[in-house]
Amino acid sequence: MEVRREKAERLADEELMPLVGRKDPEAFEVLFDRHGGAAYSLAYRIVGDRAAAEEVTQEAFISVWRSGARFDAARGSVRSWLLSIVRNRAIDFLRSKAGKAPKLDFDDDSALEQRPATERTEEEALRRETAGEVRGAIGNLPGEQAKVIELAYFGGFSHSEIAQMLQLPMGTVKGRMRLGLEKIRGELAEGLA
Amino acid sequence: MSGSDHNRWSEDLAPYMLGALEPDERAEFERHMQGCEHCQGEVRWFEPALNSLPESVERQKPPPRLRQALMAEVRADARPQTRPERRRAWSWFSRPAMAFAVLVLAVAVAAGYEIGKGGSDGGGTPSVISTSEHGIDVKMVREGNGGTLHLANVHQLPPGKVLEAWVRREGTVEPVPALLVPDRQGQAETTIADMNGVDTVMVTEEPQGGSEAPTSPAIVTMSVPQ
Repeated sequence: MEVRREKAERLADEELMPLVGRKDPEAFEVLFDRHGGAAYSLAYRIVGDRAAAEEVTQEAFISVWRSGARFDAARGSVRSWLLSIVRNRAIDFLRSKAGKAPKLDFDDDSALEQRPATERTEEEALRRETAGEVRGAIGNLPGEQAKVIELAYFGGFSHSEIAQMLQLPMGTVKGRMRLGLEKIRGELAEGLA
Repeated sequence: MSGSDHNRWSEDLAPYMLGALEPDERAEFERHMQGCEHCQGEVRWFEPALNSLPESVERQKPPPRLRQALMAEVRADARPQTRPERRRAWSWFSRPAMAFAVLVLAVAVAAGYEIGKGGSDGGGTPSVISTSEHGIDVKMVREGNGGTLHLANVHQLPPGKVLEAWVRREGTVEPVPALLVPDRQGQAETTIADMNGVDTVMVTEEPQGGSEAPTSPAIVTMSVPQ
C-alpha cells in the first residue's frame, strides 16, 4: 500500500526502505529528494560529464527501486549504501567506456574479476583527479595523501596502477592511503568530541 | 599470528576500503578478515572516513528531468506488479478467461495438495541436487518451474558484503533478485522463480546492495542437470 507523500516525508530513511521494497513510489520519491543531489554530485565527480552523471544516477536509483529489500540496516546508513551503489555504477561506467566491461563466464573465475585498467592513461587519471573541487575533510589532507585516495575512490584505480602512474613503490601508495584515511577519521572524531 | 605478520594485512586495509586492491588480493584479504576481529574492528572504525568521501565533492544540482524521468519509470513499474514482458504476453487474455483460469488453477492446487497429503510420488515431487564447496553445503530443491537454493555452514561475511546468487541461462548470467542473508546458524536461502533453461547456479560475495553482474570469483558453482 502506498503511503501519502506527507507521511513518507516524516519517516526516517531506514523506515522508508521497507516501503520502497514494497514498491511505494511516494517513499521512493522522498528518498530521491533527500539523496538525489548527493548521488548526482558524486556521479558527476567521478564521470566528469553531466549526461553520463544523469545516466549513472538514474541507473543507480532504478537498481535501488528494484532491489529495495536488499538494504541491510545493520551494515550502515541508507545514504552510505545509496552512495556506494552510485560510486560502483560510476566506476563501472568509466571502465565500460574504456572498453573493459566484465566478461561473464562461469568457466573462468578470473573473468569475473575486475580487469586491470592498464589502458587507462595518466592523462585520464589526472583529468579525473582534478575534475572536481576537493572539499571537506579530504581537502585538509597533505597533497600526496589526497591524491592517492582520490585516484582510488573517485578514479577507480588499483594501488598498483596508482603506484605505476605516480612512479612510487606500492608500499608507499598503501601507506599514504592509510595515513590519509586515519587523518580524515581523526578529524571526524574531533568534530564529534 | 605475530604482530609483524599482521602488518601485511594492516597495510592492505586502506586500499581494501577504497576499492583499490587487485581482485585476488581483495579475495585474500576478505578471507583473512573473516577470522580477524582486529581487522573487522579497523574496518568499522574507518567506515566514517570512507563515508565522508562522497560528501566531500562539490555539490551539483541535478537537472529536473532526471527526477521526472526516474519517477515516471518508477510509477510505471509500481502500478502493475508484473514485469512488462509478462504483461504483454497476457494482454490478449480477457478478464472472464482470466477468472476462469484462476478458478481452474485453484482447483488444481487444491487437488495437488490432497494428492501430496496422500504421499503420492507424482510429477510434482521436488527434485534435490546437493553439493559442498569451500565448506558450504549447497542444496537446490527444484519444484515445478522454480527452485529454492539453500546454503548451510556459511561463514560470517565481512562488513559491507552480501551473498548474491546468479543463474546462467543460454549463456547469459542473470542475478537472482533476493540476496542470500545468512542467519546466526550460517544458513541462507533464496528462491529462483524460473529455472527453465538454467544450467548453472552460482553464488558470489558482492558489495552491500548486491551487483548487477558478479564482481568476485564464485564461492559456489552448481551445475543443474537439464
